[in-house]
Amino acid sequence: MSENILELRKATKVYGGAPAIDEVDFELRRGEIHALVGENGAGKSTLTKVMAGVVNLTSGQMFVDGREAEPRTPLEARHLGIAMVFQENSLVPTMTVAQNLFLGQEAFYNRLRGIYIAAQQFLQSLNFDVTPTATVGLLGAAKKQMVEIARAVLHKAKVIIFDEPTASLTPEEKKYFFDLVRDLKKRGVSIVFISHALEEALQLADRITVLRDGKHVVTDNAANFDRARIVQAMVGRDLSNTLYGKRKSTSRPAGERVLTVQNLKLAPMVKNNSLSIFAGQITGVFGLVGAGRTETFKIVSGVLKRDFFHGGEIILHGRPVRYLVPAPAVKAGIAYITEDRKVEGFFETMSIARNIYLGLLAKFPRGRFLLSGREAEKAGQDWISKLNVRSIGGKAKVVELSGGNQQKVVIAKSLTQEPDLIIFDEPTRGVDVGAIVEIHELINRLADEGKAVVVISSYLPEVMALSDRILVSRMGKVVEEYSAAEATEEKIMYAAIH
Amino acid sequence: MKLGRLSQQGIVFAIFIAMFAGFAIFLHGFATTDNMLALLQNVAVLGILGLGMALVVIGRGVDLSLIATLAVPPGLVLQMVQDGSSLPVALATALLLTVAFGLVNGWLIAYAEVPALFTTLATGLFLAGFGQALLFKLDVVQWSAGLDGFEKLGQGAVLGIPMPIIVFAITCVIVAGLLTRTRIGAYVYAIGDNPNAARATGVPTRPVIVLEYVLAALIGCLAGLVMAASVNSMPTRIYNSTWIYDVILVVVLGGIGLSGGRGGVVNVVIGTLLIGTLLNGMTIMDMSYSAQNLIKGVVLLAAVIADSFLNPRNEETAQQGDI
Repeated sequence: MSENILELRKATKVYGGAPAIDEVDFELRRGEIHALVGENGAGKSTLTKVMAGVVNLTSGQMFVDGREAEPRTPLEARHLGIAMVFQENSLVPTMTVAQNLFLGQEAFYNRLRGIYIAAQQFLQSLNFDVTPTATVGLLGAAKKQMVEIARAVLHKAKVIIFDEPTASLTPEEKKYFFDLVRDLKKRGVSIVFISHALEEALQLADRITVLRDGKHVVTDNAANFDRARIVQAMVGRDLSNTLYGKRKSTSRPAGERVLTVQNLKLAPMVKNNSLSIFAGQITGVFGLVGAGRTETFKIVSGVLKRDFFHGGEIILHGRPVRYLVPAPAVKAGIAYITEDRKVEGFFETMSIARNIYLGLLAKFPRGRFLLSGREAEKAGQDWISKLNVRSIGGKAKVVELSGGNQQKVVIAKSLTQEPDLIIFDEPTRGVDVGAIVEIHELINRLADEGKAVVVISSYLPEVMALSDRILVSRMGKVVEEYSAAEATEEKIMYAAIH
Repeated sequence: MKLGRLSQQGIVFAIFIAMFAGFAIFLHGFATTDNMLALLQNVAVLGILGLGMALVVIGRGVDLSLIATLAVPPGLVLQMVQDGSSLPVALATALLLTVAFGLVNGWLIAYAEVPALFTTLATGLFLAGFGQALLFKLDVVQWSAGLDGFEKLGQGAVLGIPMPIIVFAITCVIVAGLLTRTRIGAYVYAIGDNPNAARATGVPTRPVIVLEYVLAALIGCLAGLVMAASVNSMPTRIYNSTWIYDVILVVVLGGIGLSGGRGGVVNVVIGTLLIGTLLNGMTIMDMSYSAQNLIKGVVLLAAVIADSFLNPRNEETAQQGDI
């Protein structure tokens, strides 16, 4: 019997050319609680998905109980004794607790009563206070999680992986969850959990592994860590990476106040969020996933539907506004450039020129009832040369372009609408290195021209390299504001995690 | 992608030519003047309906209530004239009914966000039932003296070309102009291609969707008027037939992807010619109704499967996943 129940050696997973995890070594000891921490995109989710068979390794080896094993599907992982509890839980909401527990293991004929009795005994043996006959959809987040855990134990899991287990729990529920996890440990189960909350990791884990940019940074006993050391390990980047390495030396002064958001609410993502955006400078908005940044600016630009609008005030150029759809926001000069260009960015069957021309048509419909092929062609050519879009010509379809060039087309479509408040949401996600530099130059140019520019990014170096002013968002509202001069990666990260 | 679409049009057109030639050589009574006229006449009404369907399908919708708009407002014209109203009054009333119906469809789909399939299924049923229960006295609304002259819309001819063909051609030109030359057309393609992007770009997606369904209803009504004028009556039970499937067949076979944003009037014309020839040939061969259905079913299935291969939606490729 080996000391490690689960071990990864030189685990690498490549998505479309870019490694999500890169030669990561990971060891999970028998009966330990092991926390995985790191920024967004550090590779935590990918690493755990590899263990659970959701994602398959590009190269590297995995050992379970000392024997080499490579689970190709979650089912194979389950047979190896590895279970994963996802953020979005995987229970069937319309079934009862007992039915969920035995889902997939039913005999040909099931006596409901038999299932309920078995479930009752099993839940009692775990000291779980859940009624087996309750419908899962009606349970609270904590109870749902208990059912998930119970199911993992029922499947004789030796390793249970949690992805952000405490994200949806109240403080009391968290405490109860910690007790559950410690109890599982006593039963000999080994536990891996991902957490953004460092205190939790320090309090609960036996050992902590820090990942950064897909690489393993450090693994050590929790007792040897404190907050500062973890944050340091999370952000301590190799500054020879010059793309983001250069820091801003001067910051632009704030111009006119263009946008004010006061007490904006959108349950459960945005909680009393207040912020201001000024002309002539770049405001970077940093936060971890789920901090409510995208939602806040989607409400500002009318992209998020009104049904979920729960209150607060948005003031644009001194006038209160409330946009129910994006069209009037576009007319008022707000451009929201999406983080997901495939879903709400470009028109894939159309040419570059047609994409850009549509932006023009939508903002300035007057006098354009009949389409003008010449105007479309000209707009296309203009922006293709201005933004240096590389393609076989304006007739090329957007879907045939690379990610960076697609992003430029989406940006051009918005800029042709002559906005004065431009919101970039993750402007360089899925963009090649050359295009990142060009897009950053463009963003700087826009601010120099006097536009109010917002850059939402989960990537600290990008925020640091671009912003004149940095807002840090956490749990649905802006919690800190730094000028470019006073900001450090440690300070920002410290504010972004609780 | 472009290649695939072209080849689907090309394939369908080639099949049409081959089938037409085959019928003309081997099928006695196919290549006669009378039959050609009958074929074109049947095809014309189907083609007009296809244009209405194409308009909404390009905008990523579907309109199953087209046959109801074909039957009820034109039936109302015949009924009102029979009951003593003048033709202009009857036409105006039918027009009003059609526009109101299109508005209801459009509002439910664009603003209440009910899927187009269910909306138009339900509203079509409602309109047909409303007509049969409350408006019409008999299942077949008969022609009456007050309509004299109006039958020219279905039976007249200009320069030897039957009127229905001319109406189809004019409608083709109008719809093609709308789709390719105007801002509204550009919006329709944008909504069909990517409704979220269209919305975020500032396209007034909801009013445009409402307009699509109003236009579709008007085109359906026009088709009904042509049909009533050609046969001197309006058999309102046509709603219970499987005609709507022929219309969908025309659109999908012609190469207008159900995923939206693709195709145009040319595709409708090609699809119409193919289906018209197929139906006409099968009728002359005196195939049983069930055999015809069987063949149509196979053809539609093949077309839908080909469509999903040639015009895949990008949803599965859109998901990049959390790293």
